[in-house]
Amino acid sequence: MSIEQQYRTRAKELLSSGEVKMVIGYSKGSTPDRRRPAFISTPEDVETLVLDGACIANLSGYLVTEGLLSDEKRVAVFLRPEGIRAINILAAEFQLNAAQVEILGFNTEGNEPTALSGSKVDDFAELIGTLKGIIPDTAGEELYKKLEAMSPQERFDFWQSEFSKCIKCYACRQACPMCYCRRCIVDNNQPQWVNTSSHTLGNFEWNIVRAFHLSGRCVECGNCDRACPVNIPLRLINRKMAGEVLEAFDHFAGSSQTQEPVMASFKKDDTETFIL
Amino acid sequence: MTKILYTDKLDNCVERWRSAGLSVIGPVRNANITAYRPVGSAADLELSQILPDRSIKELFFPQTEPMMRYSIKKDAINTEECLPPVGPRIIFGARPCDASGLAIDDPLFGWDYKDEYWFNRRNETVIVSIACTKSDEFCMCTSLKLSPDSTKGSDVLLRPLESGKGWQVEELTDRGREAFKAIAELLTEGAEAAAPTAVVAEKFDADACSEWLRNPENFESRFWKEISVRCIGCGSCTYLCPTCHCFDIQDEGDTFTGIRRKNWDSCSFALFTMHTSGHNPRSTQSARWRQRIMHKFNYFPGKFSANSCSGCGRCTRQCPVDMGITETLQEISKLSQ
Amino acid sequence: MTENIHSAPQNIYKPAIMKIVARHDEAPGVRTMRLEFQDPAEHEQFKETFRTGMFGLYGIYGEGESTFCVASPETRKEYIECTFRQSGRVTSALASADVGDLVTFRGPYGNRFPIEDFYGKNLLFIAGGIALPPTRSVIWSCLDQREKFGKVTIVYGARTVADLVYKHELEEWQKRDDVDLVLAVDPGGESPDWKHRVGFVPTVLEEAAPSAENCVAVLCGPPIMIKFTLNSLKKLGFEESNVYTTLENRMKCGLGKCGRCNVGSVYVCKEGPVFTAAEVALMPQADL
Ligand SMILES: Cc1cc2nc3c(=O)[nH]c(=O)nc-3n(C[C@H](O)[C@H](O)[C@H](O)COP(=O)(O)OP(=O)(O)OC[C@H]3O[C@@H](n4cnc5c(N)ncnc54)[C@H](O)[C@@H]3O)c2cc1C
Ligand code: SF4
Ligand code: SF4
Ligand code: SF4
Ligand code: SF4
Ligand code: FES
Repeated sequence: MSIEQQYRTRAKELLSSGEVKMVIGYSKGSTPDRRRPAFISTPEDVETLVLDGACIANLSGYLVTEGLLSDEKRVAVFLRPEGIRAINILAAEFQLNAAQVEILGFNTEGNEPTALSGSKVDDFAELIGTLKGIIPDTAGEELYKKLEAMSPQERFDFWQSEFSKCIKCYACRQACPMCYCRRCIVDNNQPQWVNTSSHTLGNFEWNIVRAFHLSGRCVECGNCDRACPVNIPLRLINRKMAGEVLEAFDHFAGSSQTQEPVMASFKKDDTETFIL
Repeated sequence: MTKILYTDKLDNCVERWRSAGLSVIGPVRNANITAYRPVGSAADLELSQILPDRSIKELFFPQTEPMMRYSIKKDAINTEECLPPVGPRIIFGARPCDASGLAIDDPLFGWDYKDEYWFNRRNETVIVSIACTKSDEFCMCTSLKLSPDSTKGSDVLLRPLESGKGWQVEELTDRGREAFKAIAELLTEGAEAAAPTAVVAEKFDADACSEWLRNPENFESRFWKEISVRCIGCGSCTYLCPTCHCFDIQDEGDTFTGIRRKNWDSCSFALFTMHTSGHNPRSTQSARWRQRIMHKFNYFPGKFSANSCSGCGRCTRQCPVDMGITETLQEISKLSQ
Repeated sequence: MTENIHSAPQNIYKPAIMKIVARHDEAPGVRTMRLEFQDPAEHEQFKETFRTGMFGLYGIYGEGESTFCVASPETRKEYIECTFRQSGRVTSALASADVGDLVTFRGPYGNRFPIEDFYGKNLLFIAGGIALPPTRSVIWSCLDQREKFGKVTIVYGARTVADLVYKHELEEWQKRDDVDLVLAVDPGGESPDWKHRVGFVPTVLEEAAPSAENCVAVLCGPPIMIKFTLNSLKKLGFEESNVYTTLENRMKCGLGKCGRCNVGSVYVCKEGPVFTAAEVALMPQADL
């Protein structure tokens, strides 16, 4: 049985037994190489589920859709390891109760999906442990290395040229499972922390705020990068921040449900004094 | 016999136009994206892409533009208008869907109150479109009663020659004729055949959709919720759309000096309609998606006699969750049968 | 819908500069300001175009613009008055402006109450809370030509006594024998010396029971109050086409461009803000 069929069967069982009220997965898209998020709530519809190498979007963000989990019922969701890490973060930040999430874990190595065993987020702890420090998707690695080798001025120029393309649609934010704030800092107008206009300064402000708010939280699923309509290589910023956080604090985002948010935790014996 | 512009003369044309005082703009590929940008020579032009990633609207209605500068003194407020930098421009190599998009929005920016920021630029710009000989699965101009060689909104339409060595020239407006006078000697009279235009299949019946949308009962159809569950409200579809015209007005500066700006905004965003009281008349993403469809294919045509869509397909091409106008209208077409 | 009257200034987004010549605190957080044009030409244009019901965008550079109705009547065009509740960024900035300070104004925009059509008819004004300003503009526009109208009844209710706005004018209307004023506060909102009614506007209206005969009603208030009051008006025999109200959707341009104020196919800023209840009933309301 193909892994796709295997997962359809599992989804069908989950729905038929009433164990979950919905399965969030992938279905065919508008072109042969596109997959789209699918929300299945009847056993008959599981046949539309697709699982193959083109299933790359991180679907965990849909779990925090207002009202979805408020009835205490469970929802199953197709997740790659980054998505599973995202569940850990959402749980650690009290955005959802991980017990309500049934994980249909898979990975895509090469072009073929492989099954991951487990169904609760904690079942994947060991797997996540082995992934620590490994970049999940190395797309853009060449550019990344090039950027690392640049002088600060060259790097600034590169990002200036990239950010000047930004149109402030905030697709990157909307696509990110970690950007769940009811009112994003950029939508606050009293005070107006960030310029709303999309000129180079405003674009810089936005992208820097985004980079900081995701430091130690980004799981590098690439949703933002793929969503950006003007092709800014956003994942490279996140990759850089993830690397810094790993090096400075030995923090690998989404390792467990109880992991403390690295930028929001405070230790009495901290040797740095700048906050107090 | 028709006028023909050969590709090898294009560089001269650009030069002529420039020395005649026109700034020349066309599709340019830079930093991984193609957009309409100023060109120095014909070599800068990227004319082979099906259509630029970013639409033409930003040349008339930029993502952010200063409307006025203010300075406040003890007992005087001074407003300095920042009307768009004037000066004639020629856009070479627009796509017919982009040019149509501009014509679609003219009545909106002009009804009763005339938006000078839009019209100053419109009045100073010559649009030279190139008929499409290639299309992709997202193109849908024909479903909107337009075509790969429609002339709507263009001042000159060029049809690629079969040989690929140039274009047949069709001057459509006085403004177009005027601009082509400057390059008259670079044109050749000839009978060379034009390449066939792209075949774009009709994807939905726009009239049937409009009718379905006009039926008040369908406003509350479950359909809206079903078709839009996966929409994440990112707004890319509206920002890339050549006809979406919604905007915000924002001040930047302090109590003494600053700038008032006009910035793109979108009905896909939750905050767009949020009242100060916190009440939101379009509180769900499905209500917002419905607004987008209703506005484009029901309300807008009701007021300005054309659908607010030129079929460029960017909304679907770019949507991170593979939604878009096409699918929704195809489904509505089915429902309306 | 009543017809539009448009001004056609050069740059449609450029505001006029106004001086605050007086201000008055109406209720906690609610203030009235009287503004005067600094440029005579702009004032002339206002005089030509302003009719009761229209609104404007009042602003402070650096903070933005906010939509309020013009609360002064079309019979007094020497100045503009607005009454606003401090509720956000722009209104906070406006609230901290003092007499003598300069602010900006764009407008007047939108349609109006067709008061010529009200000639010879009885008028019933109903307002709740801070929604008295748009009503007040019509009230004075009619009272300033009192002879043209029949009986005038005003029903006004607020949450508490402190929340009543235009207290001095309420007193004035109270004293007039050609105006019937019915004042009310919500239960629990009365002060020890409150001599008027206690109850919600719809109830108070039904008790006062003005006749629907040859009568036009103008109704402004929060959505929930409008909903229930409309029911009461129906009970009293009012037809929806004889009840006028205003919509207050969020606006930016006021000019039919920015797309923000749309309700269904209606551009509230151009085709409104004044609508009959019959017109409002045709607008799609349902959320999903
Ligand atoms: C026709 C009409 C008549 C009205 N008449 C009155 C009246 O007479 N009296 C009265 O008190 N009120 C009236 N209102 C309501 C009034 O317009 C609002 O209460 C007022 O605008 C709120 O002001 P604010 O700017 O302080 O609020 P804020 O909500 O702080 O808004 C500040 C500005 O920033 C914008 N803004 C806020 N948040 C965001 C964001 N996240 N992104 C982008 N922009 C943002 C707002 O649109 C506004 O321009 C009327 C409204 C309408 C439509
Ligand atoms: S998705 Fe891209 S264009 Fe949009 S706000 Fe983010 S960086 Fe800017
Ligand atoms: S339809 Fe797609 S592009 Fe448009 S807002 Fe929704 S998710 Fe974004
Ligand atoms: S709605 Fe979509 S297809 Fe139509 S003009 Fe806009 S982006 Fe193009
Ligand atoms: S679809 Fe939405 S963003 Fe586009 S023009 Fe219409 S209301 Fe504005
Ligand atoms: S307020 Fe801008 S369109 Fe109505």
